[in-house]
Parts: sequence; structure tokens; C-alpha cells
Amino acid sequence: MSLSNSPTLFDRLRSRPVLRTALAAALPVGFVTALLFVPYALLLVHSFWRLRNGTITHELTLENYGRLFGTDLYPNTILFSAGIALRVTLLSLLLAYPLAYLLAFKVKRHKHLMYMAVIIPLWVSYLVRAYAWKIILGQEGILNGLLASMGLIHEPLTFLLYSRWAVILALTHIYTPFTLMPIYAVLEAIPPGLKEASQDLYAGRWQTFLRIILPLSLPGVLAGSTFAFVLSMGDFLAPQLLGGNDSALMVSNLVWSLFGVAYNWPLGAAVSVVVLLLTLFLLWLANRVETAMNYGGQRGSGAAGPPPPVAAAAKVVR
Amino acid sequence: MSSSPLLELRDLTKRFGDFAAVDRLTLNVASGEFLTLLGASGSGKTTTLRMIAGFEVPTAGEILMGGAPITGLPPYKRDINTVFQHYALFPHMSVRQNVEYGLRMRGVPTGERASRVNDALEMVQLTQLGARSPRQLSGGQQQRVALARALVNRPRVLLLDEPLGALDLKLRKEMQLELKHLQTGLGITFVYVTHDQEEALTMSDRIVLMRQGGVAQIGTPRDLYDRPISRYVADFIGETNLLPGTVAESRGSMVTLKVGDALVRGLSDSALAPGTEAWLTVRPEVIDLLDGSPPPAGWNAVSGTVVDTVYAGSTVRAHVEMPGGRRLVANLAPGAAPPIGAEATLSWQMERGRCVAE
Repeated sequence: MSLSNSPTLFDRLRSRPVLRTALAAALPVGFVTALLFVPYALLLVHSFWRLRNGTITHELTLENYGRLFGTDLYPNTILFSAGIALRVTLLSLLLAYPLAYLLAFKVKRHKHLMYMAVIIPLWVSYLVRAYAWKIILGQEGILNGLLASMGLIHEPLTFLLYSRWAVILALTHIYTPFTLMPIYAVLEAIPPGLKEASQDLYAGRWQTFLRIILPLSLPGVLAGSTFAFVLSMGDFLAPQLLGGNDSALMVSNLVWSLFGVAYNWPLGAAVSVVVLLLTLFLLWLANRVETAMNYGGQRGSGAAGPPPPVAAAAKVVR
Repeated sequence: MSSSPLLELRDLTKRFGDFAAVDRLTLNVASGEFLTLLGASGSGKTTTLRMIAGFEVPTAGEILMGGAPITGLPPYKRDINTVFQHYALFPHMSVRQNVEYGLRMRGVPTGERASRVNDALEMVQLTQLGARSPRQLSGGQQQRVALARALVNRPRVLLLDEPLGALDLKLRKEMQLELKHLQTGLGITFVYVTHDQEEALTMSDRIVLMRQGGVAQIGTPRDLYDRPISRYVADFIGETNLLPGTVAESRGSMVTLKVGDALVRGLSDSALAPGTEAWLTVRPEVIDLLDGSPPPAGWNAVSGTVVDTVYAGSTVRAHVEMPGGRRLVANLAPGAAPPIGAEATLSWQMERGRCVAE
């Protein structure tokens, strides 16, 4: 290898900024196209095809959507899933907000460590965490064992596992860290001076929380809620593993059985498209609300605001 | 001070671990006074202010207002308001809502609230901007909102933590005057924290120069400038020449100092024993150039070589090096400045220099 004066590949690229940008963008754009847009496009196309005698024929039709909205089953399943997701969201908020508040304002030492303790469960496989609830809630499970040994029950409780509550419990456990992260980030970004200014202006702790901290943390609450809702709405494993007869039918499970057992890809695709549109609508709505909450412009060092969490969240979720 | 003080700090101490940020500070603030806590960073001035506001709990000592102890009261129960360094305006509220906040928290009725907010906005000339968000305002405007938000409550004491620190020089100068006028007009007691000695000299009735959590000197701006009691104070306030030497003789308040081979005299408030180390501090503007004639009676004279002259508009700063390498700076009239390399004798009235210990 000799050091010559002939231009290297890098030299050539340096003199051609357009080519350079195109090359740099090629990989991510290709990745997203191949793994996201192409599958979505296929899904969309499938939802307009006809199933005839168990075979997918390439005839354009709206009958999948007609069937979808023509029976109660599919809209009800979507509503049922949304109901589960709503409860998970509320429970996650109830758990995450106080915890985030404590972490952001009350914990002085080992703050980072405590934050990690909340986040670390995310490193454990989702499947393991869902199974853990099976072990806890089952008939021979830890909870029943504990209650029996305390003499509180004589027969194992059977309603613990395989119910919608088990699903809600597991989903809450799994998605609470997702709710906590944006709330914590927003609380951390609130300048401590604002709290002091409020107290200086005769507001006690509770008033300060209600009038200053809470309103300023709403963008984080919104982001966290969006996470919890969207993720649990589309969840598949928890209802599959822990759900009862009623709750094994969240919308993902329905799609799964339509693609699998029922071998009705077009209808499955149509359900997916509807859920996808619903989700996108929710993300769009959250983004709009968050923009409206992003008080005023960006000028002035004294009024540093929290980062826009929903925009970031939206990019992660789908 | 004749009347009883409005605010009293008694042996106020704040420790963070082993570090004493404020160390047995005792201080009285008179009603209607503009008092400045001046000091380098880490001197304890902000911690003192935060204890008065109630954001920090003192490790020891007492704070009294109007004779009553307020040491243990939370900030929201003190008749004191603060203008914060970075204003700390509430970003989710309009300018008007910001100013209204304290009155609302105190349950002032709506009608009175509105008129007081109007008055406050008018006072800081922001009547037109009430509906704006603080983020749409310039730094100077935000500063005014912070001021209005505090003053609308008519506190007995207003605390200001480097309120002009974030503004550019020109605006800062304007705001200094405006603040001073406001304070005199309203008759509210100001406790003002700054590290800018010029700002302190311009605005204050009295200055507390702080050092390592304690007081280096308390006095009027004139006291601190003309009669510093230590080398530290002389060096911190304004520009000065500091000549290190040994006390040769101490007679009454007049002290003779041996600086190198030269003998210089200056006043001192404290008794300096012969043989101890001391400094003579003399301001550049009181030094004159002698034109070969002997110095008048009661004047010090020091000879040396002119090593530098710096033109500064209304004056020329002449740097004169004494034998032994000590330098003196004299502010001379532009026409009077000698050329570089010339021999020069500098002279000043003995009463205008002061002998101080460390």
C-alpha cells in the first residue's frame, strides 16, 4: 500500500455532499422501508383481497371491512382491548407518577441507582415477566401458597389466574416503567427555582404541586399514558398466557387466530389496519395536545421547559 | 442605626457537611434600607439570602423580623419576597397570572387583585404585555415581570439574588438606576446579592462585603472605598495600589510603613504594632506627578521609572516601577503623562492612603 496523491474514496465523497448524504441515509431508509413500510403495504393490500373457498384470490373487495363492522365481534374486541388498555394506563399512572415524583424531588442519594432499579426489569425478557405472573397467580402459585399458609384460605383461589385482572396486572407491571420514564424526565427538567418561587409567593406544598409541578409535568404524563395505552392495547402475550376465556380475546389474539387457525388473512389484515389507524390517530392526538401544552415560544433562559416527550415516544412506539 | 432594625441576623450559621458556608453572621438591616451582600463566589452571600427567604434552614443562629423570630418559618409564611437570579417565572402562566400568583395564594379578593396587578405592571412598564407568555419576553422584560411579581405583594423585605446578572451591560446599568429609584420610591427594604462591586457601590446604602462565610467589612459604599479595614477589602473594592511593607512607626492614627527603601505614611483605624507586616493602599486617582519640586508637607513621594502608559480616554494610566520592582499605577491627566522610560516621582496626600493588615 503506497501513499499516493490520487483521491481516495473519502476524498471523492467529501467533494460530493449530495452523494455523501444519500449514502449515509441509504441504510436507515432501506431498513425502515424493508421492515416497516413494505410489511404495512402488504397488510393494506391483503385487507382488500377476497378469500374464496379458503384461498386468497387477488380480487379487490371491501367485503372484509364489511364483515368487520357488520358483526359485533370485531368492534367489541377492539373496545374490550381499549378498556383493558385504559385500566392499565390508569394503574400505571397511579404507580409511576408518585414514584417519579419521589425519584425526581425527594431522593437525594443513589438517585441514579434507584432509577435503574425501576428500569432494569425492562432488560428481562417480556416472556419471563409474563410467566412470572403465572407462577405467582396460579393454583399452585406463590400467592395461593402464601394465603393458605397464613390460614386465610383453605382452597386455592382459582379466579386469580386466567382472568382479565391477571392480564391487567401483568400489563401494568410490564408497562409501568414506560410510563415512569417520560414523567421522570419531565419532572427532572423543571427548574428547582420554580418550586421555590411558588413557595416564596405564599403557596404551600400542596398548592405548589397542583399549580406548578402538576401542570408542568402533564406532557410527561401524556407521553407515559400514550406508551402504556398503545403498548397494552396491542399486547399479545399477556392475554395469551394469563387471560381467561373472555380476555384471551384481545385484538392481537384475534388477529393471530385469523391469520393462524382461521386462515383468513384478508380479514386479519383488515382488523390490523383498523387497529393501526386507531393507534396512529391516538399518537397524532397526543402529539397535538402536547404541542398545545408546549407553552409559548423558546425564548428566554428563565423559562426553560421540558423536552417534548410524546414526539420522542411516538417515534419509539411504532 | 437609631431605630430598631427590621431584619436581624444573629450568629447565623449554615454548614454543609464540614464546610461552613455562613459562619456566625450577625447583621442588622434597617427599615427602608438598600443593603447589599457583596462577595466572591463561595463567600456565603447567596446562602445567607436563602436563609432569610426560608429556602435553607440555618444550622445555628437566629433570624428576626420586626423583633419576632422567623428562623423556623417556611418561605410561604414569611413576609418576604424574592427576585430570583434566573427569574423563575412560571412558563405555563401568562405575565399577568405570574404577577397575580402571590395575591391569589393569599386570598386577596378578585377586584383588589386586578387593580394591584395593574399597578404593578404599570410600575415596571409592562402593561401592554400582560397576556404574553414569559417565554415571549426579552431578558430585561422577564426581569421586570419577576420584580412586579414580587413587589405586588408589598413585602416588608425584598430579596434580590443577582437579578441583573443575566442582562447585558447597557441594560444592566439602566436597570441599576431603575431599581434604585423604585426602592427609594416604595420605601421597601432591599437585600441585594451581587458579586459585582461596581453595582454594589452604585446602588447600596450599605454594603456587607462577605468573605468565607463571614463579614470582611460593613459600611457605606464610601466607607468601603475610602476606608477599607483590610488588604482584602481594599483589593476587592475598586482598583488600588497595594504596597507591602513593615510598620516602622505608629503614632495615633498615622502609620509609617517601610516599603523597600522608601518610607510612606497612611492612616489606619486599627493599631498596627511596629514590626508587623502591613500594606499601604492608595487609589490610582489620588496620585499626582511631581515636577521635580519637593513634595508638599503631608504628602508621600515615591520615585521610579515609567514602564507603561495606557490611554483611557479621560485619563492616562501611568505604570511606574519603583526600585525593587514594585509598581504603582497613577491616573493622570492626558497632557501630564510622562514618556515611557522617564524618571518620575509620584506623590499623594498621606491622609488619602491607608495602612491595612491582611
